[in-house]
Amino acid sequence: MINVEISRSEMRIIQRHILLHLCQWVYGTHLSTAIRESVWVFPIIETIHVLGITVLVGTIAILDLRLLGMIMKREPVSGIARQVLPWTWTGFFIMFVTGLLLTIAEAETNYYNWAFRIKLILLILVGLNPLIFHLTIYRKVNTWDISNVTPLRARIAATCSLTLWAGIIIAGRMIAYLH
Amino acid sequence: MFFLEFCHWLAKSHIGVIMRDSTWGFAIVEIGHLLALAIFGGAVLLVDLRFLGLGFRTQSKSQVARELLPLTVGGVILMFVSGFLLMANGPIRYYYNPAFRLKMCLFFLALCFHFILQTRVARQTLKGEDNSRWLKAGAIVSLVLWFSIGLAGRAIGYV
Repeated sequence: MINVEISRSEMRIIQRHILLHLCQWVYGTHLSTAIRESVWVFPIIETIHVLGITVLVGTIAILDLRLLGMIMKREPVSGIARQVLPWTWTGFFIMFVTGLLLTIAEAETNYYNWAFRIKLILLILVGLNPLIFHLTIYRKVNTWDISNVTPLRARIAATCSLTLWAGIIIAGRMIAYLH
Repeated sequence: MFFLEFCHWLAKSHIGVIMRDSTWGFAIVEIGHLLALAIFGGAVLLVDLRFLGLGFRTQSKSQVARELLPLTVGGVILMFVSGFLLMANGPIRYYYNPAFRLKMCLFFLALCFHFILQTRVARQTLKGEDNSRWLKAGAIVSLVLWFSIGLAGRAIGYV
């Protein structure tokens, strides 16, 4: 029996290879090739993805701007959150499906694209933001629901959300510029 | 012909030269155009959805139209200014681009139609609010127009 010892740096190289191989395998699938090589399918999915920004980020921005006390000051925060949420989820669904298809179509080239990597990291961060917001300050929303100036932590969450989403849009556009 | 002359002038102007020759100028302004789209499109969507009775039902139509007016007006100004700078990248090329021409016609239509509709509802009182089918039809027309502008805008790069 041969004792194989793998150092941490070697392990990292192996993991990187696994991810790259996965991307290459996805790139070679029928679906990926079909989207990439069709004249119209890729632009159509891309257009829906771009216009979907309005449904997802636009509705999130409305709530964030209310949290910052910039619009709809007389409306309770929870009211706006409840009204906007179904549309935010609709937007998320549109963006997720079209984004996944675009990723599949360019899996191997995206692997090397640093804008794509940054976008993925920002997407994870932007997912954590509402999670923290809802588990902490939003639990006590009834104490500050109608106030013009919301608690500092709510305003920080809104600023983080707006900044992260802006970063995601910037990184997303950069993917195509770096191709 | 006036517009073509204007395009020639724009191409030679300072803005035209900067937008054409700088490496990242176009990319930065285009990203600004997209960021403005998120805010503007989101606000327009919510106003029209409210007119259709599909969201924000805790607030009256006139309230939503009034309170989101700064966002739709501010958003459309940002979209126009950034769009103008993008056009300065190659005014004559855009002048002959059919998708660009279509987009500008639709933009002019949507601009008049949507803002007449929104400001009219914004001025109404709660009691005198327009609940007719015409308002719903108007909201659908507005949504279709803005969506077509988005499609035509994306098509500029492909035709």
